[in-house]
Order: sequence, then C-alpha cells, then structure tokens
Amino acid sequence: MNASSGGEVRLTGISKTYGSFTAVHPLDLTVPQGSFFALLGASGCGKTTTLRMIAGLERPTSGTVLLGDKEVTGLPPYKRPVNTVFQNYALFPHLDIYENVAFGLRRRGVKSVKKQVDEMLELVQLGGFARRKPQQLSGGQQQRVAVARALINHPQVLLLDEPLGALDLKLRRQMQLELKRIQTEVGITFVHVTHDQEEAMTMADTVAVMNAGRVEQLGAPADLYENPASTFVANFLGQSNLIEAEITGKSGGDLLLKVGDGRLALPAERCSARSTEVGTRVLAGVRPEKITLAHADDTDAIDDGRNRMNGTIVDSSFIGVSTQYVVSTPACPELAVFEQNVERDHRLIPGAPVVLHWNPAHTFGLDAGQDIEAGTADLEADQ
Amino acid sequence: MPVVNWIRRHLVVIAGALALAYLILPNVVVMVFSFNNPTGRFNYEWQAFSTDAWTNPCGVADMCDSLSLSLQIAVYATVGATVLGAMIAFALARYRFRGKGATNMLIFLPMAMPEVVMAASLGTLFLNMRIPFGFWTILIAHIMFCLSFVVTAVKARVMSMDPRLEQAAQDLYATPAQTFFRVTLPLAAPGIASGALLAFALSFDDFIITNFNAGSTVTFPMFVWGSAQRGTPVQINVIGTAMFVVAVLCVLVGQVLGSKRKARA
Repeated sequence: MNASSGGEVRLTGISKTYGSFTAVHPLDLTVPQGSFFALLGASGCGKTTTLRMIAGLERPTSGTVLLGDKEVTGLPPYKRPVNTVFQNYALFPHLDIYENVAFGLRRRGVKSVKKQVDEMLELVQLGGFARRKPQQLSGGQQQRVAVARALINHPQVLLLDEPLGALDLKLRRQMQLELKRIQTEVGITFVHVTHDQEEAMTMADTVAVMNAGRVEQLGAPADLYENPASTFVANFLGQSNLIEAEITGKSGGDLLLKVGDGRLALPAERCSARSTEVGTRVLAGVRPEKITLAHADDTDAIDDGRNRMNGTIVDSSFIGVSTQYVVSTPACPELAVFEQNVERDHRLIPGAPVVLHWNPAHTFGLDAGQDIEAGTADLEADQ
Repeated sequence: MPVVNWIRRHLVVIAGALALAYLILPNVVVMVFSFNNPTGRFNYEWQAFSTDAWTNPCGVADMCDSLSLSLQIAVYATVGATVLGAMIAFALARYRFRGKGATNMLIFLPMAMPEVVMAASLGTLFLNMRIPFGFWTILIAHIMFCLSFVVTAVKARVMSMDPRLEQAAQDLYATPAQTFFRVTLPLAAPGIASGALLAFALSFDDFIITNFNAGSTVTFPMFVWGSAQRGTPVQINVIGTAMFVVAVLCVLVGQVLGSKRKARA
C-alpha cells in the first residue's frame, strides 16, 4: 500500500436507484490524488450514497469506480484499498481503543502491530487511552480514534461520512483544523461528505455541491462562493441576495439591468444566464457583505460608478463582529446586508431610509428560469 | 410523628427488603430442611439437625440417575435451541424472505400456548409417527419449546446492534466470516447467553411436557413429583439447595468479573 500512487478516484457515469427512487443520477467525478475533496449538500442529496459506492458498501446501478488505474466497481469493501470514518464513528464497543485501531492491520495478517498502533495513537493525541473502551471516551476523542483506525491502514483514499456531525460547534471547528493538519501530514486523498457549507469551505481544496442526486457545481471554495452558477449554490453556500432584473443594454464589458425603477451594472462574464440579449430576464445576485449601507442623507458622498438601490431598514441584529440588516427596497422586499462593526452609524436603525451601494464587479447574474428559493431551507432542521 | 417520618424516609429499603424476603424465604426453608432428620416418610416437620443427607446425597434409589439425565437433556437442549434459535433470530432481524411474517408469529406460539395442550399434542404426534418415547422425544420437545425464548432474547439484541459496525469491519478488510466471528458474534453474545441460560433453566425443571413424552424414562422433576406421592427424601432438599448455591455463585462470579473489568479499564 503506497499512499503516493493510485490515490485518484474516478467515477464514470455512476448512479444508484432504489426501486423507482433515484438517489444518484449518472455522475462523472474525478478526485485528484492527494486532494481534500468535499461532497456538500443537504440530507438526501445523494452525497453519502456516492461515498458508499466508493467504499464498496453500496453497489452502483450503473457506471464504474476507478482507484488510480484499477477498476474496483465489483470488489467488496474488504478488498478495496479505501477506509471510511463513519458517521457516529462505528467504533467496536467490545474492543478497547488499541484493538479498534489495530483491527485493520490484524485482518490483513500484519504480525507486530504495536509500534504502528502506538504511533497512530500519538498522531491523534490519544497515547494514554489505549486500554479504554470507546464508550469511556468523549465524542471528540472517539472521533479521533475513528480517524486513527482508518488511517493506520494507509489507504489510498480516506472517506469521511459527516465525521464531525455529532460534535458541538467549538469542538467541530477544532477538529476541522485537526483533520486538515492530518491530511497535509499524511498526504492521502480525503473525500469528505458534509451538509455544513462552512466545514466544506474551511477544509476542502475542491467542493462539489450536490442537490437531488446531481452535482450542481464543482470548484475551489472561493470560486464557488464568488461565482455561483445556480440559485441553489448561491443560497446554499453562504447567503445571497437575488434580485429579479431585466437586461436593458450593454456598456463596455457590463450588462445594464433594470431593477424595479433602478439600474444596476453586471460584468457580462459573471452572468451565467442562457442568453444576454436585451430584454432577457435574469437574477442579479450580490452577497450581503459586499453591500455598503449609507443613510439617505449621505447619498451625495457615494461614488458614481457604484450599483445603488434605495430602501428602508426593516430589521437589524447585532451579532458582535457585524450587524445584520434586513432592508426593504421597491425591487426586492428583503435584502440582507452585513456591516462590519468598525464605525457604527447610529442613524441606521429600523425605519431609517438608506441607500445600498456596492462595486458592480461583485454582482453575479443567474438564469431566471430557476427556483429563486432553492437551497435556502433551514439545513440544521432536517438533520 | 417520628415513626411515620422514619418509614417515609426508608420506604424504598423496606419495600425492597419485603420483596427479597418473599423471594428468598422458600429457598431458605428448602435449605433448612436439607439438614432435617425426619422420623416418617415425609420431610415436612422439623425434627432434629442432621448432615446425613449431605454426606450421602445419592442415598435414595434412582434419584441421581434422574438428576444426571435431566442435566444431560438440559445441556443438549440448550445447545440445540441456542444454535438453531440464534440462527433464526439473525434471519428474522437482518434479512427479508418469504414467510418472515409467519415465522415471526409462529415462533411465539410455544410461549403463548398452554403447556399441557402442547404436551398432549406432541405426545400424539410421536405416537402416530411411531417414535418410541424416551430420551430423544424429551430432547426434541425441549428444544422445541426453548427455541422461542432463545429467538426472542437474541432477536432483541441483534435488532439493537448498529449495522454500521459490521460495515466498518468489512471496510477494515474483514471477510464476511471474520466480520461474523470478530464483530457480530461478540456483540450478540449477551443476547445469546441470556437465551441459553433461559433455555437451560426451562429444560431442567420442565415437568408437564416431559411427563407426556417420556415413556418410562424418569427425569429429576418427574422423580420429585413421583416421590412426593410416597414420601419426600431429604436428598431432594440437598439437590435443591446445591442448585440454588451454584446459581447464586454463578451470578456472584459474573458480577465480580464485570466490576473488575470496569475497574481495570
């Protein structure tokens, strides 16, 4: 088992149906060797099924799974050079931590496991816990045992199925960094399934956003965030303001949009709508933190080149680093605006007339023929 | 009212002590009377202290033969019912197959049916199949009625087991056979053990079904029943006391081992 070869995962036309329900639509995906790859989506989007097909725990209805150059589609899980960190860890309750970690080595007939097990327990900082039973450990410790138990086998690919889902927020943040550190240290390909978009963006080099059995968009976290290609990605990854607009013309590299009774500029290359002809309806998007909020009395101080909209503050909530405003405008009843709490303008209270303005380069355009609400559902609630 | 207050404070202890007394008292009587030296044929009245019965436990004709027969049948019936019952339980808990619903329901029948009805119908069956009554008919009958208890105990355990543990074993290079012996079986062991203990106890002291299917063979419960008509030898109390002590010792050893394992970990 050499971690430096064959760590690439290639899925070709892979799909899974249960009776009449299609969990995963035919899907092509390549995970490069040594990368940290995240499959992100709400529960039931097919991300776990995809992971289980790589592990061999689920047999694909169609398509092939390749690890490096080797096809493993028909191989049972115990013959694949792949290990999984399960949701809720699935540690063997009748074995102590040492034997849990040694399990894979022993099954492959490795004779002297002590040195490797001790080293692995050191790596995950559980040196003194070898003889404890799993249920005597805290959630975070169990999670580390699950990682150690998988990594000790030097798999070509490590699969992580919502490994941090059972931990509280603070511990989760800590473990995210920990996992990232381990991945950098061992250089193994990680495929990580999660419903937590922040987790995916913190840890992964590449994120595939899945929705209803399909990959909606794939790319580096910053790229996905700045240039969402669908309303689902725009709403699921962070928060977006999507405003219904109509193309009225072009000026240089920008499309000119009519929004209610106002005008916006949108860089043409950031518009993923099918057509950019005059008269086409599109959705203009902008992230809440890109917007600056000014009181209506200060309108004259705003630069001419900026996109601007008039509105009234409906609600404001102070959350420490920033204040989150909900602003009602003629074109859109609820726009979210996040302002850093650097110099707070005390006139910005609910009811105050304001001007929203932002750099036109931060505007993105989406095809109007999709559900504007896609991906906005409360994700914690359906877990 | 200090008395009322005292009772109020110790109500749980009092209730516990009463329940324990209710359970233990019959055993204490059996134990005490195993040291009796009765004058007549019946061991129902205290006469004088004696250890005669303890120094000569097999002094009564045929009793130890019936005891060893009962123990043999109980061991075989336990092994048979546990192996078969565990397999049925795994099938019912883990797989889908034709007739699963019917099996699930029928397995409860021996528990629900009046024992005497089952005993009589089994007897009729053996008679019509011309199988001679004796050791084998008793064993077959015992395995049959122990089965449902084993299935119930093991099934409850298997249902509560996380299937992901077996998947994790497979993911960690365990073949299906290794997965079963290294993970599935150890996890199901408490259920299997409690099913086996139940089977042993039920088989050892069964009287009704055995009586209908034994022919001229005599098991220990049948011996006790038979002798109760003519007179009860003190040795019966000796066997009873011995069984009680062995059972209590087993439980104690289990407890000590369990707490030791916990302390070590």
